[in-house]
Amino acid sequence: MLEAGDRLVLADGVVLRDGTLVDAVAHASWPVNATGALVLARSGCALGDVADDVAAAFVVPVARARADVLSFAWHLNRLALANVDRKAGRVRHALAWLGLAVRLAPAGALPAITVRRFRLDTRTIPRAIAGVARAGAGRGAAIAVGVAALVAHVGLLAGRPSVLVPAAVGLAAGAGLIVHEAAHAAALRGIPSALVIRGRRVSVLHAPAGPGRRALVAAAGPGVTAIVGTGLLAVSVSYATPMLALVGGPAVVHALALTVLASDGRTACEL
Amino acid sequence: MRALRALALGTVAVAMLAYAVAAAAAAIVQAEGGRLDVHVGPLVLVAVERSGDAAAAVFGPGLLAVAALGGLANAAAAALLARHARRRPG
Repeated sequence: MLEAGDRLVLADGVVLRDGTLVDAVAHASWPVNATGALVLARSGCALGDVADDVAAAFVVPVARARADVLSFAWHLNRLALANVDRKAGRVRHALAWLGLAVRLAPAGALPAITVRRFRLDTRTIPRAIAGVARAGAGRGAAIAVGVAALVAHVGLLAGRPSVLVPAAVGLAAGAGLIVHEAAHAAALRGIPSALVIRGRRVSVLHAPAGPGRRALVAAAGPGVTAIVGTGLLAVSVSYATPMLALVGGPAVVHALALTVLASDGRTACEL
Repeated sequence: MRALRALALGTVAVAMLAYAVAAAAAAIVQAEGGRLDVHVGPLVLVAVERSGDAAAAVFGPGLLAVAALGGLANAAAAALLARHARRRPG
């Protein structure tokens, strides 16, 4: 959901060069017309103000300019070429999103969520891992809280309320996401990359690599996470500690992503 | 090559998932002081044996059989997807 006060900022690795938008990470480029170039030249300004500039420069009604600018900004954000910075606070935006969601509910639709792209420094493996941890911390925490709440709810319904079990499973689920993406990023050492958060999906965008390297990168994420989980389960059985099994369980579920059921598994098999 | 890779990845994935389920069940049964014996025909998947106060979890060859089946299923699914991709126009 975009608002007139939002600001469009080109993502790291994306530049406007000679009328062409160039993504140095994905090694892709798009021609941009004069209107698009004007919008991108005003990068960092409120979209409402940019629309006024477009209306004045191209002598079109402000309403049409606003619709075009928002549509263009939306398109760039969907392609993970630009991030949306919000002038309004997150809480105010969340409330506005909820209000729109309520209005759209009769149609069975939800307002779309903006895409966020973060630069990853893959010069060394520790830098790549740290970059993913920084960029994905918020999403990991959200997953941890959501899963913990779900497990706590199930525990209450089953008549076995607990604080420790939901906390352990929630933390494992949130940490699993970070480990998964960090393993992808580590396998991409030396290849320009970015972390993209698209709604509930988190992925690593990277420059083209050979088929072998691509398969390794795809398998590394779920593989490393599942191996860590399996190790925790083995320790849990060895020392008869079910709590460790609760932590290892969510991590092992990532093994499913090694199969063709998931995009990582399909990429690893060159499908 | 693609079939081999799908077979290997599917086998590893299902082996880890099968082990996870078996290990979680064994850890819970061990902690609660019970017994466990899960098998498919003659193949033992997981068992928790007790002698006195001590308990031991045994992971049987059934887990390997399940993993192999998972690998074969993944390879078959990969072949199917590849065939669909070849038939797709454009």
